[in-house]
Amino acid sequence: MAEEQKKPKKRMTATQAAASIGPLVKEFIAGAVRVKAEGKQKLAYTFIVCHHEEILRALDVLPVWTENFAGVCGAKRDSERFLQRAESLGLSRSLCTYALCGIGFDQWREELGQMPPEAPWGGMPKPDFMISTGQILCDPRAKWYQASQQYMPDVPVYNIDLPYPLFEKDQDHRDVWGYYHKYIVKELRGLVKFVEEQTGKKMDYDRLRELVDLSDRTWNLIHETYELRKAVPCPMGTGDAMNTMVPINFMMGTQDSYNFFLNLNKELKEKIAKREGEVENEKYRLLWGGGLPAWFALSDFNYFNSKGASFPAETTYRMIAPLYEMDLPETKDPIEHLAWRWLGYWTFWYDKARKRPGSEPDVERLISFIENFKIDGVVMHEAFSCRTWHVGLIWQLHQLGKIYKPIPVYVVTNGKKEKTYRELPSLILESDIIDITSYSEVDTRNKVDAFIETLESIRKNRAD
Amino acid sequence: MKDDVFAKVDNQYTNYGIRARELKNQGQKIIGYICSFVPLEIITAAGCVPFRVRGDIREPITKGDTLMETIVCPFIRSCFDLSVKGKYDFLSGMVIPHGCDSMVRSYSTWNYSLNLPYFHFVNTPSVVKESSFEFFEEELKAYKKSLEKFTGKPITDADLSKAIRLHNENRNKARALYDFKKSNPPMISGVELTKVLTVGSSLPVTESNALFDEVLAAVSQRKEPPLKKGPRILLDGPCVDNIELMKIVEDSGASVVADTTCNGTRDSLPRVDEGGDPFKALARRYLDKINCPKTYRDNTAGTFEGDAEARFGDIGAYAREFKADGAILYVYKFCDPFGFEVPARKAYYESIKVPLLYIEDLYSAGTIGQLKTRIQAFLEMIG
Repeated sequence: MAEEQKKPKKRMTATQAAASIGPLVKEFIAGAVRVKAEGKQKLAYTFIVCHHEEILRALDVLPVWTENFAGVCGAKRDSERFLQRAESLGLSRSLCTYALCGIGFDQWREELGQMPPEAPWGGMPKPDFMISTGQILCDPRAKWYQASQQYMPDVPVYNIDLPYPLFEKDQDHRDVWGYYHKYIVKELRGLVKFVEEQTGKKMDYDRLRELVDLSDRTWNLIHETYELRKAVPCPMGTGDAMNTMVPINFMMGTQDSYNFFLNLNKELKEKIAKREGEVENEKYRLLWGGGLPAWFALSDFNYFNSKGASFPAETTYRMIAPLYEMDLPETKDPIEHLAWRWLGYWTFWYDKARKRPGSEPDVERLISFIENFKIDGVVMHEAFSCRTWHVGLIWQLHQLGKIYKPIPVYVVTNGKKEKTYRELPSLILESDIIDITSYSEVDTRNKVDAFIETLESIRKNRAD
Repeated sequence: MKDDVFAKVDNQYTNYGIRARELKNQGQKIIGYICSFVPLEIITAAGCVPFRVRGDIREPITKGDTLMETIVCPFIRSCFDLSVKGKYDFLSGMVIPHGCDSMVRSYSTWNYSLNLPYFHFVNTPSVVKESSFEFFEEELKAYKKSLEKFTGKPITDADLSKAIRLHNENRNKARALYDFKKSNPPMISGVELTKVLTVGSSLPVTESNALFDEVLAAVSQRKEPPLKKGPRILLDGPCVDNIELMKIVEDSGASVVADTTCNGTRDSLPRVDEGGDPFKALARRYLDKINCPKTYRDNTAGTFEGDAEARFGDIGAYAREFKADGAILYVYKFCDPFGFEVPARKAYYESIKVPLLYIEDLYSAGTIGQLKTRIQAFLEMIG
């Protein structure tokens, strides 16, 4: 059994692009170890979705994505020993397991003075500094590096505050976002100053502007590329998107990321022309409506595929929105632009949500995907250790069912057959991001089977 | 006779919200809140009554679980469950701050499920630095504006200054109540003080002040302490708005002499500076003076020990001032802000040589037996 757990079944990808990601990530990790040994470039632990990577890259800092490393440990089914080490320090298993894995790894490496034995893909090198941010999203991101610092007190932390206005039904977010923008600009300028001090380099603002512009173009290209997945049959599913999230989230501000999506765009167009779908005989189109995946069980996507289900869209890790659809104030200052882009991204669905009674941005986004990608059902994943992405999902489904009933069905009322509409079926899977002890393949697949039966029943009984 | 005030406290503690309901029936607007990051002065200045929403460890979570994930902090889940079941149906509105992920990520769930006439989110910064204060001042002004819109009445600087003064009086009185814990044995028990502070947070500040005065008078005339001499315990943790834990400690022959909890010293003691710009003063008080693990402060010392002193120095100060013999670090399961600090806090307690019992718990009466065993063993060890 232990041997089985050590060798997860590899998920089959639908696209060549997704298949190319594994070696790329391996190289991120091995590359960081190499750079550390060479000592020519500074390494920074940091997190994705902070809109700060252009600043790091412009100052030649190599980001070490600690969540990514934890995800790799999870995907390789080799996180348990780091989680247990974190527990031995007094950290509860109920906390974010990415952070537990990272802290456990750091503490072990610092105790040994070298990488822990058989560290996944060479392990994570000690950083020169750490850049954290809780935003208003994630407490573990604000606490993780502070906790790790106990075991490497010589590594400084810079914590950026990156708030955005929460959705209020009766308030236009633009009434307040002026002072949000001012604050975020100060935070990002503070980051520039901190990184300049750590690296001894001065920011080249022309270079920063180029990188920000490259990211902007990449954002729009990603959006256009993912829109191709509207095609029937769908040429690429969420399983693949859990690979292609890498150039979105870990490579922003690089030409490689842009080129990756150019290639993916081309590949998808070719598949569409050949009517080549992720699934050979596409019967159901599903939305991955929330939750980070169980990295150790990505082959579950193949299981869905084997039942004729494809995932044309997902909300998870789609951390971009079309900039040309945002009404952002013009500025030539790249820092100011980063701050506007941050606010534009997080408030993207606010206006639309305000127009539909009972809606809310996350619910509105689900409705948009359901309508535009011809969705038959919604699947979510509740990872027990992460409140950031997994609190609110039940309510979103509840609210979605309340305000949005797109499926025409016949019902018999008082002996009369009448056409009415029902809500989309949904499925919530439960386990974790990297803690495999929370997962049961049999239970998961039984739930999937039951959900597929529901979808099939609805398909046969639709009134249209 | 003098202790009759404790019968009143007991009644209001057991029937939590009884006075707020009366006030609602008299036409007052009651604004609920969770967490210590909600500036109450602005609610009071708006002519409304701030009311701290409590959970109930004896009430099984039922309806709440149909709308909110079980991975949410069990304290917040309990508060939400009671709210959707109608226990607080006298509320006219609710304010939720950026206290933790469990609050932020469930904001829409609260807002849409309770569907109150007023709902507002206060975006407390997650770091403490000059630019955070500037941002927070603007955020507090937006919060004030939203309340003005709700009540239809402007809040003047004079209203705000008066509210600040009244709430500061409340903090002075709370401090005076804590001072009664310095003697050995203390002249007020942890159970009594928790009840008083909890009830105080369900009343208009003027009534809370009057209640605290009555309690102060009653305690000052006590001839006998309510507890026998025993180990003196400091309770370190988040919001512990029920007496069960303290009751176990005090029924076992010890006394809870100090705490850092949200409904204890963390929120009850820090004052707002008076005389200057009220928004600047409120921003300082709520962002800087409330020492919560959620708020990040730079490690300016450059060492773990120096950083620990900056972050947890208040614990050491309370332990010295109240002569604590031991401490209980009490953390809820699924609480990321406190949970990630456990190794650092443990190391800090070791450095100040205060024996520590660390407990991770659910917000549920189901664990009382287990807690009792662990606490009694700890008390025997330090006793």
